[in-house]
Amino acid sequence: MRRTTLSALALTCTALLASVTPAFADSATPSPVPSPTEVPSATAAPTPSAEPTEPPSSTAPSAAPTRAPQDGQVSVVPSGAPDTGETTPAANSSTERGGLVGGGAAALLVAGGATAFVVRRRRANGA
Amino acid sequence: MTALTRRAFAAGAMASLLVGCGGQETEPTADAQSRRSRDREASAGERSPSPNSARALGRSTPVRLRIPAIAVDTPLILLGLAADGTAQVPPITADDRAGWYRHSPTPGQVGPSVILGHVTVGEYGDGVFRRLGELRRGDRIVARREDGTSAQFAVSAVRTVAKADFPADEVYGDVNRPELRLITCGGPREGEEYRDNVIVFAELDSATPAP
Repeated sequence: MRRTTLSALALTCTALLASVTPAFADSATPSPVPSPTEVPSATAAPTPSAEPTEPPSSTAPSAAPTRAPQDGQVSVVPSGAPDTGETTPAANSSTERGGLVGGGAAALLVAGGATAFVVRRRRANGA
Repeated sequence: MTALTRRAFAAGAMASLLVGCGGQETEPTADAQSRRSRDREASAGERSPSPNSARALGRSTPVRLRIPAIAVDTPLILLGLAADGTAQVPPITADDRAGWYRHSPTPGQVGPSVILGHVTVGEYGDGVFRRLGELRRGDRIVARREDGTSAQFAVSAVRTVAKADFPADEVYGDVNRPELRLITCGGPREGEEYRDNVIVFAELDSATPAP
């Protein structure tokens, strides 16, 4: 009888552990959408004097684009790399998480039911 | 081991299996696409300036961009600088459009004209420049301008570069002929961002006058 109870307890714990771990592994938050409506305050007036002139000698032999002695073509050089890829929002994972929690609960229920069934059968048999 | 104990173990195993099957995060195909793009980079990397570039045009805002090779036909919006000093990007909408960076020359003018577009637009799926990395050297790009003229470019190189090593000088640096830069994101996703940028370099091939 004690062996039966112990094995039932071990089974329930295993099922509980297995269900809890994946359910909360994903803690992603929805990614913020960039605010493209923002109007830059910089005027469109070119500022040629601010651009450093590139000496002709510094041009790379073949891979780099041809350098021109004049400047001011791109009047304001942006900093860094543009972020031109909005990935799939993490909000998707909320439904996924719901499924995981539901699945875990269902599994727990099944495990509990099975345990109760086994214990009852054992008791009935006088094991 | 009695039959009952065996049954108890079987029930437990089934329960564990049920739980284990829940929610496997699917890996996006961006990795595979990145690999393809990187392979392509090698073949398109070397550039040789075309000796007979078409005559440059005057300034006129671009209104539409067509890239037949990858079925792109998009209106162009105006982009400036974002608050953090980076280039502004088009808004995330279902009808994704590309945008011309308005501090760069207009397509057909001498200098590097810069056009940006998304590779993906979140829940809306593919962006207008989703297939930019598939372009090959010599592919045609046509920019229609407000004054009715069109500037036709030929792709000279397609590069995939890590965002951390974005080649600002090659993209925005001065050139002595009309050129075009198309920029989007690429490579594998790192968190909520793409690791790389895909940059298409193109040179003016011909310019058609206003009808």
